[in-house]
Amino acid sequence: MKKIPLILLSLLLFVLLPLYTYADDFAQLRKDAASIKTVQAAFVQKKIMKILSRPLVSEGRFFYAAPDSFRWEYLKPVKSIVLSGKGEAKRYIMSQGKMVEDKSGGVQAMRIVLGEVVNWMSGKFDLNPSFQAAVTEGKNTLITLVPVERNMAGMIEKIEISVVKKSMAIKSVRIIESENAATIIDFSHVEINKAVNASVFQDVE
Amino acid sequence: MKNIRLLILTALLLVSCRTLPTINPVLPQAEPKAATCPSVFLQEPYRLIHAIEFRLAGNTGGAIIGVTVADPATRFVSCAIMTVEGLVLFEAEAGSSLKIVRALAPFDSPELAENLIEDIRLIFFAPRGNIHAKGVLPDGAAICRWREKSGDWIDVIARRAEGMEINKYSSWNNWKRRIRLSSAEEHIYRNIELTAQETFNYSLRMTLIEAETLAGSSKK
Repeated sequence: MKKIPLILLSLLLFVLLPLYTYADDFAQLRKDAASIKTVQAAFVQKKIMKILSRPLVSEGRFFYAAPDSFRWEYLKPVKSIVLSGKGEAKRYIMSQGKMVEDKSGGVQAMRIVLGEVVNWMSGKFDLNPSFQAAVTEGKNTLITLVPVERNMAGMIEKIEISVVKKSMAIKSVRIIESENAATIIDFSHVEINKAVNASVFQDVE
Repeated sequence: MKNIRLLILTALLLVSCRTLPTINPVLPQAEPKAATCPSVFLQEPYRLIHAIEFRLAGNTGGAIIGVTVADPATRFVSCAIMTVEGLVLFEAEAGSSLKIVRALAPFDSPELAENLIEDIRLIFFAPRGNIHAKGVLPDGAAICRWREKSGDWIDVIARRAEGMEINKYSSWNNWKRRIRLSSAEEHIYRNIELTAQETFNYSLRMTLIEAETLAGSSKK
């Protein structure tokens, strides 16, 4: 289960990274990062695979508060929540009508992931050797991330993040896993630096 | 004290080694339904998507999503397992042979892949062997017993209140799998509970997200 959090790490990167990539260099990114206190958004995730006749659609929401609190929540079709704060991460799944803690090994690996997230929140993207990033300007800003680590080969080919230029709001994310498999996440209602109740990062219900 | 320990050990062995239950024959005119085998298997190609809660050796495991394409005519199975976040952990096709398209840990062992395909076939396809016996269990439930070419036994049981049950036993009569399906009023594959006795025991609780027939498609 150690590799499961990798996708979560990628998902978090999608939401947080675009807030910085408009700047020209990493020093500017680190400077800009200091102004971001909270992020919240709704998302619709579409899974595309050869075996599926139509995309499998999931819906959820995301919350972040500096320095290290986040909540990544799926509302349907499978209810699941990852809560993190102060270096601790817990995942909850729906079991027989109630949310229970996921005791799989993936939760332990998530603690390592969180260290990376904190780096990103500080704008330290150049410290993470896992992705090679490129920015393309067009109608929207497109950030392409290509994994450089060999152990990611066969899991993620590349990640494409589309960001609205003026508002800097994240628009969509495409995770290309292979020729026949991709995950597309469309974000909506993105709000930056709007107050988020502390209970969001503590309560599973 | 030694005798008590021996008694406890014997009792535990008896409990853990569940074997084939006795089938009582029934007169068809007395209980006509008991003379007909319970129908729990796919009759046409289907695509099914389930939310799956898995447990390994009794502890809570986690939640995954499973996609199954199954054709009862050819016994072809195509399946994929992904995390809730969408990462595909396992993908395979099995007709006359098993082709693993993708397998990430902990789904990267060939034994697990074979068990997974066998479990899917056990749930959705009628047994390939001959019907060895049919009748009723001591609790009154209707049962049909197949013997597969491998020598394994498969019991399909219909209980009025609890729904359908499939049990698999080895050729040595040792219990290996129990599958419980939804009661007849619902979609039969809405809720599936699978309990497996292997070197490392596991159980799956599957809840249907989507099901569709694949009319006109048949794959070998």
